[in-house]
Amino acid sequence: METIHLENSRGRPKAPNPEQVELKFSDQAVQELEALLTHYPDKKSAILPTLWIAQREYGGYLPPEAIAEVAVRLQRSYAEIEGVATFYTMYHVGHPVGRHLIEVCTCLTCQVCGAYRIAERLKAKLGIDFGETTEDGVFTLEEVECLDACDRAPVLQVSDAYIGPVDEAEIDALIEKLRSDPGSGTIRLADEIVKAQLHANEQRDIR
Amino acid sequence: MPELKLLLKHKARTLDEYRRIGGYAAFQKALAMDRQAVIDEIKKSGLRGRGGAGFPTWIKWNGIPKQKTKRHYVLCNADEGEPGTFKDKELMESTPHQVIEGMMIAGWATQADVGYIYIRAEFMDCARAVKSAIDEAYAEGLLGKNIQGTGWDFDLHVHLGAGSYECGEESAMMSSLMGERGMPRLKAPHAPLPTIAGLWDSPTLINNVETFACAPHIIQNGGDWYAAMGASTKNSRGTKIFSVSGHVNKPGNYEIEFGTKLSDLLELAGGIKGGALKACIPGGSSVPILNAESVAKAVIGYEEIGEVGSMVGSGGCIFFNEHTCIVALMWRTAKFYMRESCGKCTPCREGTDWLFQIHDRIIKGGGRPEDINLLKQICAQIDGRSFCGLGDAAAWPIVAALKVFPHEYEYFIQHGKSIVDTPQSKLMFPYAEPVPV
Ligand SMILES: Cc1cc2nc3c(=O)[nH]c(=O)nc-3n(C[C@H](O)[C@H](O)[C@H](O)COP(=O)(O)O)c2cc1C
Ligand code: SF4
Ligand code: FES
Repeated sequence: METIHLENSRGRPKAPNPEQVELKFSDQAVQELEALLTHYPDKKSAILPTLWIAQREYGGYLPPEAIAEVAVRLQRSYAEIEGVATFYTMYHVGHPVGRHLIEVCTCLTCQVCGAYRIAERLKAKLGIDFGETTEDGVFTLEEVECLDACDRAPVLQVSDAYIGPVDEAEIDALIEKLRSDPGSGTIRLADEIVKAQLHANEQRDIR
Repeated sequence: MPELKLLLKHKARTLDEYRRIGGYAAFQKALAMDRQAVIDEIKKSGLRGRGGAGFPTWIKWNGIPKQKTKRHYVLCNADEGEPGTFKDKELMESTPHQVIEGMMIAGWATQADVGYIYIRAEFMDCARAVKSAIDEAYAEGLLGKNIQGTGWDFDLHVHLGAGSYECGEESAMMSSLMGERGMPRLKAPHAPLPTIAGLWDSPTLINNVETFACAPHIIQNGGDWYAAMGASTKNSRGTKIFSVSGHVNKPGNYEIEFGTKLSDLLELAGGIKGGALKACIPGGSSVPILNAESVAKAVIGYEEIGEVGSMVGSGGCIFFNEHTCIVALMWRTAKFYMRESCGKCTPCREGTDWLFQIHDRIIKGGGRPEDINLLKQICAQIDGRSFCGLGDAAAWPIVAALKVFPHEYEYFIQHGKSIVDTPQSKLMFPYAEPVPV
C-alpha cells in the first residue's frame, strides 16, 4: 500500500489560512446555494450540493481554496468539509482531473463482457493507467464500480453520459471526438448535478 | 410464464402522458381516504420492500407516529448501486411520475412534510427526468402548499449523491443526506428505528424506488387485487422487476409475477449466449451464486429462492455461460466490496481487503493450498460481525462460490491457472495471462 506523504505533490494539500480565504463563487453560484439551503432544515445538510457547486466554480475539482470557501459559506470547519468530500469518489479533492473523465466499469457483468479489453485499449491509446491524467490535461482514466446499466455492458461513463455497449473499435473515434470538444465534461457534469437539484421556480429567479 | 407488466407497462415521461394512462388517479383516491385505510391497503397487498431486504412495507408505513410532534419525512432510495441491477434507473427514466405519485401517497399516509429522492449522481438521465416531473407536479398544484384543498403541504426535493455504494444502505443514506460521510448509524435494538428518529432525528419513511412505484397500483386497484398476483408462493406478492444481464441474448428489465421459474426468466431474456449455462447470481452481487442445476429448480419468491440457497435481493440477475471462471468472478466481487467498504468497522474494512488480496494472488498463479480455508475463516469472521449489511454481503458470495464450485478454486491453486481454459474466459482477467508471483 502506498504511503501518503504530506509534502508529496499527490499528497494532502495544505489548508489555507482562514483569514486568507477568498470567496470566489459567482453571483449565480451564490443564488443557487441560497435556493438549495431552503431544501434542508440546517446548513450542514447542504454540504454535498455545495461541494458540487464548488467543483463547478473551481474548474472541475476541489482545490483547498474550494474546500475553504464551502466551509466559510456553510459555517463549518475546513476539516469537516474535507472529510466529507474525500469520502465520495466523484469529488476530485486536491488535484485537477482532465477535461474529460473517462470511467470504465469493470464490475461483474462488464467484466464478463470484455471491459478489461476496453480498458487496455484506452490505456494504450492515451498512454496512461487508471487514476492518471494525460500530460496535456485532456483525459483522466478511472476504473469504476457497477454503473448500474449492465444491460449495456461493457459501459463507459463520460461526463454526464453513459456509453454502451462499447467495442474496442469504437474507442479511437470516441477519443478523437472528445479531444476536439473544447468544453470540459467534468465541469458540465457538476453543473448538471447542481441544476437537477433546483426547482423550476428557483431557477427562474437565478440570473 | 410470460412477463406480467404493471410498473413497466407504460412509458410516460410527461405529466400529460402520465395522466392519459390514469396517472394520479390513485393519489386523488388516497386523498379521499382515511390515512389508516391507505396503510391497510398496503398491508393487504402483502408488498415487501424491493430494495433488497424484502421487509413488509406496511410495517414501516404504520410505524410512523400517528400523533405528530415533529416534522415527518419520506425518503426514496434511488441510489441503485448493487452490481447487476438497473431497474430503478428504468423506472425513473421512463415513468418518473409513477415514483413521485407513490411517494406522495406515502407522504399523505404518514403525514409527511417533506420528501427527498436520493439519486446516485451518475444517473443524470434519471435526475433530469425526476426533476422535470417534480416541476410539472408543482405547476399543477400536486405538490406544494394546501394540495388539492386538503390543507396538506408537501414538498419534494431531488438530492444527488457523489459516488458511494454504501450510501444505498438506509442509515448511511441518511448520514449522507445530512451532509456527512456516507457511513451507517447504530440500528435497532440499540437505537430507535428510522420511523421514530431518522433524518434530523425525526420520523422518516425510507423505501426503494420500485416499492414506491407499486403504491399507486395498490391504492387504485386494492390490496386484494395486488395480493392475488404471486399467490402460488409462500409470502411474495405482486410483480418484481428483474434486471437481467450477462451472457444472455436480450439483456434488459423483465417484470414477472412471483412464482415464475428462474429458467423462464432466462428464456424471457432470450436464453443463454455463447455456450451452455453455468451459473447465475439471481439478485445482485450480494447474493449467493447458483449453478445450472439450481437454476433449473429455482422458483422466484423470497422464500422459494431461499430453498436453492440464494435470495431475491434487488433483482439484479446475472447469468453466466460455461466460459466463466468463477475464481476470477469472485476476485472481481471481492474487489467491489473492498473498494466500497466505508471503513467504519474493522471486520469489513480489513476483511474485504484480505479477501481481495487472497483472490488476487490466486488468479496471479500464486495461490496457496491453505487459502481455501483462510478464505472461509475470514468470511466467517466478517459475516454477522460487521456494523452494516455490506460486510455480510461481501462474505456471502464467496462462501457460496467455495461451496458450489470448490473444484475451481482447488484447480486454480494447484495449477496456477483457471480450470476454464478458453479464449473467452481470458477476457475476465485484467492481466493478459495469469503471471506467477
Ligand atoms: C450495502 C447496502 C447497499 C444498499 N443499497 C441499496 C440501494 O442501492 N437501493 C435500495 O433501494 N436499497 C439498498 N439497500 C437496502 C436499504 O438499506 C433499505 O433496506 C431499503 O432502501 C429499504 O427500502 P425497501 O423496504 O423499500 O426495500 C442497501 C443495503 C445495504 C446494506
Ligand atoms: S460493514 Fe463495511 S460498509 Fe458497513 S459499516 Fe462496516 S466497514 Fe462500513
Ligand atoms: S457491471 Fe458494468 S454497469 Fe453493471
